[in-house]
Amino acid sequence: MSDALAFEAVRVRTIRSTYWLVGLALLLGALVAVALALATRDEPVDAALVAVGVTGGSQFSPLPFAAVLVGILGVFATGHEFRHGTVQPSLLALPRRSALVAAKLVVVALVGAGAAVAGLVLNWVVTVVSRGAVVSLPDGEILLGYLVFVVLWGWLGAALALLFRNIPGALVVLLVVPLVVEPLISALSLVPALDWLSDVVPYLPFSAGTSLVTVVDVGEATEAAGGTAALGRWEGGLVFAGAVGAVLAASWVLFERRDA
Amino acid sequence: MITAVGLTKRYGPKVAVDDLSFEVRPGVVTGFLGPNGAGKSTTMRLMLDLDRGGGETRFDGRRYRDVPRPMREIGAVLEAKAFHPTRSARNHLLMLAAANGIGPARVDEVLALVGLSDVAGGRPKGFSLGMSQRLGLACALLGDPHTLVLDEPANGLDPHGIQWLRDVLKSLAAQGRTVFVSSHLLAEMAQMADELVVIGRGRLIDSGPVSDFVGRFTRTTVLVRSPEASRLADLLADDGATVDSLSDGSLVVGGADAASVGELAASYGVVLHQLVTRTASLEEAFLSATGAAEEYRGVSTHGSAA
Repeated sequence: MSDALAFEAVRVRTIRSTYWLVGLALLLGALVAVALALATRDEPVDAALVAVGVTGGSQFSPLPFAAVLVGILGVFATGHEFRHGTVQPSLLALPRRSALVAAKLVVVALVGAGAAVAGLVLNWVVTVVSRGAVVSLPDGEILLGYLVFVVLWGWLGAALALLFRNIPGALVVLLVVPLVVEPLISALSLVPALDWLSDVVPYLPFSAGTSLVTVVDVGEATEAAGGTAALGRWEGGLVFAGAVGAVLAASWVLFERRDA
Repeated sequence: MITAVGLTKRYGPKVAVDDLSFEVRPGVVTGFLGPNGAGKSTTMRLMLDLDRGGGETRFDGRRYRDVPRPMREIGAVLEAKAFHPTRSARNHLLMLAAANGIGPARVDEVLALVGLSDVAGGRPKGFSLGMSQRLGLACALLGDPHTLVLDEPANGLDPHGIQWLRDVLKSLAAQGRTVFVSSHLLAEMAQMADELVVIGRGRLIDSGPVSDFVGRFTRTTVLVRSPEASRLADLLADDGATVDSLSDGSLVVGGADAASVGELAASYGVVLHQLVTRTASLEEAFLSATGAAEEYRGVSTHGSAA
């Protein structure tokens, strides 16, 4: 396992995509934080708004920047092996396939968590600078939820590319499901004839996952508008983690059994 | 020493490798020969636990997956271009070295050995097939292994490169290492290998020294041109020779030498315009050995080169 980790550590450091994905995640998150801080500069400090900025607006985007970019990092972690045929030298060096997969997950988690922490700190700093006043960091629960959220996206990306053995397929699922499929199901649940869908909506994986980065409770407003209230932070997180775990388990078993 | 027993791989109803068993001895270069599609690559993938199938391969008694840090014992390359296009050759090797506890000094050593030191830091995106093959060989040699398994390593090398590869493999074998190299070109193998394992359609056709194989499958024929070709053909057939007529009217005679064909023609007063002894090339020997087992048989056009 330590050999596999050493391998993965070199792998992730020696491709440029690692740097531009993490860099872009930091930049885009910081832009959201700056925009929000400047827009509310003259208003009294609102802890929830500060939290929205520090988490890069993740709660309100179907494709939260840091999560999506770390998701793509995950896609590349496994997908490049198939895209460039490196799965052969990789497995010749590390014939125990599970060790390779485990090492990839560890490295994606470390890089993802590192990017998340760096993003939180950066967003807080730019918020302070933009407002010209020190604001307190959001609750520990919010910060931890954000960290878990970003890492789960990374693992999902890695699992999807390992399952499809293909980068475009994994990217399509990673982007189209949260952006198109889940909003569509949510919208259809508002049609009276399809109102049974509203029981399903809270359990849609990406929507449920977003509860991990909830900073403003919009449950009442959603219910008032005829929608379904989202799950709680950790309940929703569990649903998302369950979905990620299911894809990961399937891809892992298949990777063990299939021809490389 | 490599011992492969009962290797079998099926893709649905199609059998790609069919109960294949062979041994590869240390100290010599063993060529793994077969036409395209014969199952050479699949066999190698089975040997190295990359493909899932029947049978087992033991490297000095152990299966590949049971060898800790396998690159230190078995160096293998199956695909020449198996690298990320923007990760430098040096970083590619450093990554694989890290997986097997091999130090960075060895990376620079193998880069020099395969002649890639000058391009080690650049992107391998623009590597020619020949350069990719050299990088592949560098991967295989990284752990200074006692066994090498190489799939078509000469593919894409220029004649100079093939000569170089031959020298490298021969010297590695001379050090007592086990070297197993595949190719679909017998002429290439005849220069490079001492022993052969020949397969066709996933089955073993022959194994043993190269010279035995060449001798067994090489046939000497006599090419004859005559204005009375059909009469001569009948006379030769009556004499017990085998005769094939080519499209330009000349005859290819087997089972008789040039002298006896000439004497036969003279005794019946048949005029000859040409009488040439032809020794089948290595490629022809190979084709005749694997002909029955060839996977993709194209439309054959008879050549008439003397």
